[in-house]
Amino acid sequence: MSVPEFFTPAWAEDVRAALDQGPGEDVRAAKLPAYWDWIAGVRAAYASSWALGVRDLPGAGPSYLRLGWKDGTCSEAAIIGPGDPLEATYVLAADLSTWRGLLGGQDPGRIVMYRGLRLQEGDVVRFFRGIYFFVESVAVIGRVPARLP
Amino acid sequence: MPEMSPEKVTAVEESALDRIHDIDIDDVIDYVHKDLKRLPGYLDLYRRYLRQRWDVYDIDFTRDAHDWTERMTGEERDAFVAISSGFHHGERQVEVELPVFMLGGSEESRIYMSSQIEDEARHTVFFDRFYREVVGLPGESVQEVLDASFEHVSETFVGPFGLLAYQADELRADPDDIAARVRYGTTYFLWIEGVLALSVMKITLSYCRNRGLLPGYYAGFTATCRDEARHVQFGMRFLRDAVQEDPRLLTEIHETLRTILAINQATSRRVMLEALGWSAEEVRRLMIRQLTMKLTDVGIGLPPDLRKLIGGIQPELAGG
Repeated sequence: MSVPEFFTPAWAEDVRAALDQGPGEDVRAAKLPAYWDWIAGVRAAYASSWALGVRDLPGAGPSYLRLGWKDGTCSEAAIIGPGDPLEATYVLAADLSTWRGLLGGQDPGRIVMYRGLRLQEGDVVRFFRGIYFFVESVAVIGRVPARLP
Repeated sequence: MPEMSPEKVTAVEESALDRIHDIDIDDVIDYVHKDLKRLPGYLDLYRRYLRQRWDVYDIDFTRDAHDWTERMTGEERDAFVAISSGFHHGERQVEVELPVFMLGGSEESRIYMSSQIEDEARHTVFFDRFYREVVGLPGESVQEVLDASFEHVSETFVGPFGLLAYQADELRADPDDIAARVRYGTTYFLWIEGVLALSVMKITLSYCRNRGLLPGYYAGFTATCRDEARHVQFGMRFLRDAVQEDPRLLTEIHETLRTILAINQATSRRVMLEALGWSAEEVRRLMIRQLTMKLTDVGIGLPPDLRKLIGGIQPELAGG
């Protein structure tokens, strides 16, 4: 099976499927069950959407991976290109170098704390009510294979 | 809380670094709270900073390094590192996030804030030295030592400290946005400094004092706690004055606390607190006490849902 290119519809679909499945047992085993229970509680009621952008995709300009959540599942994953209308509860963006780091195994929580990934639109305080769900979802995205430019 | 005796106040306020090992951490924590009902002005706190500033390079970690390898058990070292790593990274985070807060507010607030930024940078160096000279972590630069200690930091650290980073970004757009300042102040001064930091100080410093271990750490971290007294008093004054001027800002404190207390419910790692002489329940009660004392003294009322959330606070060990 060929590895899809980064920020293409095929990669977005792989991301959606991986998020739907959630982290594997090896990842879950490294943290307390109470932590995953907290995340499961947030996920079950989560109805917000995220747009995760890459600011400097060569030849494309700023593009976004839009992810929608409904009834505990990742119900939508789409690539929004430059100039296309973008609507999401929370819009975040990072440079390609940050995405490279994430796909190379860097800690997503640290990427947030060091502002590699910045919130561009959306209520900060409300966004953080689901922060561990978000961070573990970004970690899942980082484990989805992609051919980087 | 009973009144502190004048002798104890003087000892906490005026002890130089080479005498600070005589001070009990409980007295320093009492000192944090003693002025909360009659909060000092920003320039009073700045003057106090000028008197209390200490040189982080004066700390001698020679005996600490011996204690670490010869007198502490592996379980004690693991627990100590797990707790203090949250502070190592916490100090770095607040040192980076604080300058944006200095851009807004009165001139007196800005002058005071310059001292707090310097405090936080000094505290970061204190932990950098501790990790290099006592724990023995490798690294040519401050960042490399931070990288080396990151594996000990809990996954839930990103909750309060990521929130602060994003609130700092929000504030950068308009440093005089008072609602954004109050939300930021709630996360930083009330929760990170007023609850998390003071709890970690109490746990690790009580352990050092009771066991007669790590005298360099005890001196530097007790001096750090005395610095925190100014930080917390500044922050509580800021929040109190903001709400007195515009009572609608109380909702900003409440909304921020709802987020902080919601994410506090998640625990990703178990820290062996018992190795340092504490139980999870004791830490939980300590945190609840730290928070309620400040809210009560400063006159911040809470709706029932928040009071219930406070009752369910879970142990969380970081600071800055």
